[in-house]
Amino acid sequence: MKGRLLIWLAVLVLMVSLFPVLPAAHAAPQVSLNFMVWTFAVDTIQENIKRFQQRYPNINVRLTDYNWGQFPDTIVANFVGGSNAPDVLYSSDHWLQQWAAAGWIAPLDDYFPQVKEMAKSFSQYAVEGMSYKGKIYGLPYYADPMAFFYNEAIVKKAGFSLPPSTWEELLQQAKVIKEKGLVKYPIGFGFSQQEPFSIEVFISMVYSRGGDLFDKDMNPVFDRPGSATIKAIEWVRDALRAGVLDPETLQWDGVQAGNAMRAGNQVYSISRASALWSFNNPQQSKEAGNFKIALMPGSTHQTVGFVRFYAMSSQVPKRGKDALDAAWNFLNYFGGPGPDNSYPVVRRWALDFGLGFAQMPLFRDTDILLSFGKWVDVPLLQRIGQRYSKVKQGLTPWFAQWDVFTRAELQKAYLGQQSPDQTAKNMAAKWNELKRK
Amino acid sequence: MNRVAASGAGLILLAFLLGPILWLVSSSLQLDRELFTVPPHFIPKQPTFDNYRYIITRVPPATYTGDQIGRRASGEALSLIPALRNSFIVSIAVMLINVIFSTLAAYTYARLRFRGRDITYAFILTSRLIPAISVAIPIFVLIDRLGLLDTRSALILVYVAFTLPFTMWFLMKYFGFFPPEIEEAAMIDGSSRLGTLTRIVVPMAAPGLAAAAAFAFMGSYSEFLFGLFLTRTMASKTVPVVLVATAINHDVSFALSFAALVLSIIPPVLFALVFRSYITRGFAGVLAR
Amino acid sequence: MAGIQERGAADLRLGRARARPRRAVALYPYLSILPTLLVVALISVYPLLFALDLSVHRNILTEPLAHPFVGLRNFAETFGSYYFVRALLTTLRFTAMIIAGTLAYGIAVSLFLNRPGRLAGASRIAILIPWAIPTVMAAIIWRWIFNGNYGALNALLVSIGVLPEYISWLGNPLLAQLSLVLTHIWKWGPLAAIMCLATLQVIPRDLYEAAYIDGGGGWAVFRFVTLPFLRPTILLLLILETIAGFVTFDLIYVLTGGGPADATTMLAWFAYAEIFRFLNLGKGAAIAFVIGALTLGLALIYVRLLRTEELYS
Repeated sequence: MKGRLLIWLAVLVLMVSLFPVLPAAHAAPQVSLNFMVWTFAVDTIQENIKRFQQRYPNINVRLTDYNWGQFPDTIVANFVGGSNAPDVLYSSDHWLQQWAAAGWIAPLDDYFPQVKEMAKSFSQYAVEGMSYKGKIYGLPYYADPMAFFYNEAIVKKAGFSLPPSTWEELLQQAKVIKEKGLVKYPIGFGFSQQEPFSIEVFISMVYSRGGDLFDKDMNPVFDRPGSATIKAIEWVRDALRAGVLDPETLQWDGVQAGNAMRAGNQVYSISRASALWSFNNPQQSKEAGNFKIALMPGSTHQTVGFVRFYAMSSQVPKRGKDALDAAWNFLNYFGGPGPDNSYPVVRRWALDFGLGFAQMPLFRDTDILLSFGKWVDVPLLQRIGQRYSKVKQGLTPWFAQWDVFTRAELQKAYLGQQSPDQTAKNMAAKWNELKRK
Repeated sequence: MNRVAASGAGLILLAFLLGPILWLVSSSLQLDRELFTVPPHFIPKQPTFDNYRYIITRVPPATYTGDQIGRRASGEALSLIPALRNSFIVSIAVMLINVIFSTLAAYTYARLRFRGRDITYAFILTSRLIPAISVAIPIFVLIDRLGLLDTRSALILVYVAFTLPFTMWFLMKYFGFFPPEIEEAAMIDGSSRLGTLTRIVVPMAAPGLAAAAAFAFMGSYSEFLFGLFLTRTMASKTVPVVLVATAINHDVSFALSFAALVLSIIPPVLFALVFRSYITRGFAGVLAR
Repeated sequence: MAGIQERGAADLRLGRARARPRRAVALYPYLSILPTLLVVALISVYPLLFALDLSVHRNILTEPLAHPFVGLRNFAETFGSYYFVRALLTTLRFTAMIIAGTLAYGIAVSLFLNRPGRLAGASRIAILIPWAIPTVMAAIIWRWIFNGNYGALNALLVSIGVLPEYISWLGNPLLAQLSLVLTHIWKWGPLAAIMCLATLQVIPRDLYEAAYIDGGGGWAVFRFVTLPFLRPTILLLLILETIAGFVTFDLIYVLTGGGPADATTMLAWFAYAEIFRFLNLGKGAAIAFVIGALTLGLALIYVRLLRTEELYS
């Protein structure tokens, strides 16, 4: 029966199509580690992996990079979906508590008691940013304060001898620069809703005005009338209305704000302090050498200090001792002093990209000091890091959700769709709702 | 409408249709530092194929020196070739399975009456009205339980289900316009239903089948949401997933992702142009009475 | 539709007359639709039931172990939420805009394409290209065109003097919505035009001639000859565009990420964010279910209309 045959054939095709493509079986005794990062200098990461694998030939590291803006979404999907969960991965203080509370990442000191000792060599704020319920969940990838930058050449050309020391002064300088036709939009930030840095820029604006977000019981104080938060929102709105803050800023992430700075189209920005490395790098920047760091404008000049770190997923302990050993070797090599006490990876990020670090022994590393001296005022950078930086207030298992919500609410206020007071109220309502749950 | 006005309208239409693509091609022939100039260069001042070269060979060309682009290539941007392979395997498999299944079903619905005909027909068609987002999570869980997460088979299964209702409806209408007398004559000569379908109807309906195949192929090649949810690694990631990851990632060179984009729109555009007459005739056959 | 049923009935009579009551014949219809039915059921019925189950439980991704039954609370919270209502209104506005835009584009362009001449001939080929380009890829192209600093649109409009200076297309709530609509029309308008053209091509020429002889002007001819022929196609497009509006996700994902603020947060994106950003699977499933019900409901109403239309035409 030709007819039946055809039908069976069709069914067969369906069956075959349902079978997963069998993975190629290679039976090497190696341990493999799935390493997930956000995209930044991927070729350097690859080189670091290569060196690590030369040192530990039995460990095979597979790298996947995801867009920074979508990183938490993607990682959550990977954790929930099971089949491609990472073994080791980048994380940030934004998301740590959420991931730890969900049981997706493992407390390092439960498996590697030596971490407690090692943590004593990290800056205090970095340890805070990597801790949940008294346990440490990571070793630092990099740690930076948020910093205020300006293009000194243009500021001088506009007739100012000093960078602005308050937010009002910044607005006023920017208006003069615009009026003189030096630059169309003197100010720009990475304020995209997809940009996890945007909340750090914003909180820095609140801190520098002497503001707090929460009281010590984690109740919002930012919604009180006239709070620093409300003033910061009003400031952004005013800057947009005055035409000195680029309206495209609401679509930008840090990279784009940096592009505008490097191209000389913009004078002031706020970003991770290490961004200045690329601003002052002649290979990347038209205006190399003109950029300076300054204290955050405001009354207290305080700013956010953050940490991004290497975490270990909770599937590693389930895989057994070999996997744990491999993970430790990896973490120690990438975020710790490594087998030779030389901080092979951390040091490289500092030297080649100016990334800040929390590993205190490196503060005495003369190579690093020398190389930092080429692009930044090192004593000022250290002063900002040690005297003016605070961790983000409100780091809780629900901070990540609140952050996403808040970014959209802030944009509404910047665009004038909603009053700053209402925005602060909405942010507080969301916080309380999440906290109750 | 006088002739001049019509020509003007035609030119504006052509510019609207093709302008964006020409701008994309032009952008893909520039390097990032030229892309980020104000005003933009509609015609590249220093045209280069280096972006394409990098994607195809994965060896950074000399112009990518230092920090310009070399450091800004995500692993994803360079995975276009394996992604194209995945997309082709998935789309062609969907196309074949879809045409076989939908031909069988469409012919039955066009010609036969049987118990449950109307209800099953309505069911299949209505299933297409369920938005993908509504069933995305359950399908994700289903695929995970079947152990098919991050496989091309999962995508094939889902895409077959999502493209079948339309192609079946399309072919049913198409078959419905043939006069049944020829088939009846064959049946009187002792041919079975299936035999009639394969020997008589299918050859007659070749243009319609070609159009249905094109719809199935293009539908699968374009799909993004399930690609995003169901794939994890380059074992199964398709072109849209890889491209989107690259294009919205500002840490990746723009120029590079535009070159990748040009490479990946070539197959469906060629497909549409080659099958042009079938597609338009197919529509004419179905829509016009 | 009616014609097909008649044919089917004729077929049935034929089968009886020829008296071949073999099992193979009785089973054939079922066997032939089985593969299609199975695949479709697996990917629609099961997931729908599963989605319903998810939506009546509390299911938060960060609490993987506790999933208590909460009845309709997820739905109640969804409908009671100011943000859901905003997303719904945005979706309705967007849907109305793409329906109007795509239909107007489709009809106008198809009238042009239906003309003789080289330009129309070239356009008949060119129109297939945007249609062939996958939605996300079209969105990436337009994202670059809309780029406020280096994009083509600003450069073009400023150079021809339409705009005094560069503006932020995706950073302004209204412009961001219009940008999505424009991208949608670029991508999907061609399909509407192709479908309208296919319909136009079967209108008998003598109908036009008769209309002109009767002294009808261009508009009258369009109104009384062309439009009645296009009506079923327009209704079909109405269904397609309504569904498209309610499920728009790809464009948002690439172009705006729901912003600025929540200007382009539509239902599908809202459901996505609820799941992957707010990690509330139960509520995400409830929202997704609501989208499904709305789409299905609207589509069924249209299908009703289409049926009636077919009966009376």
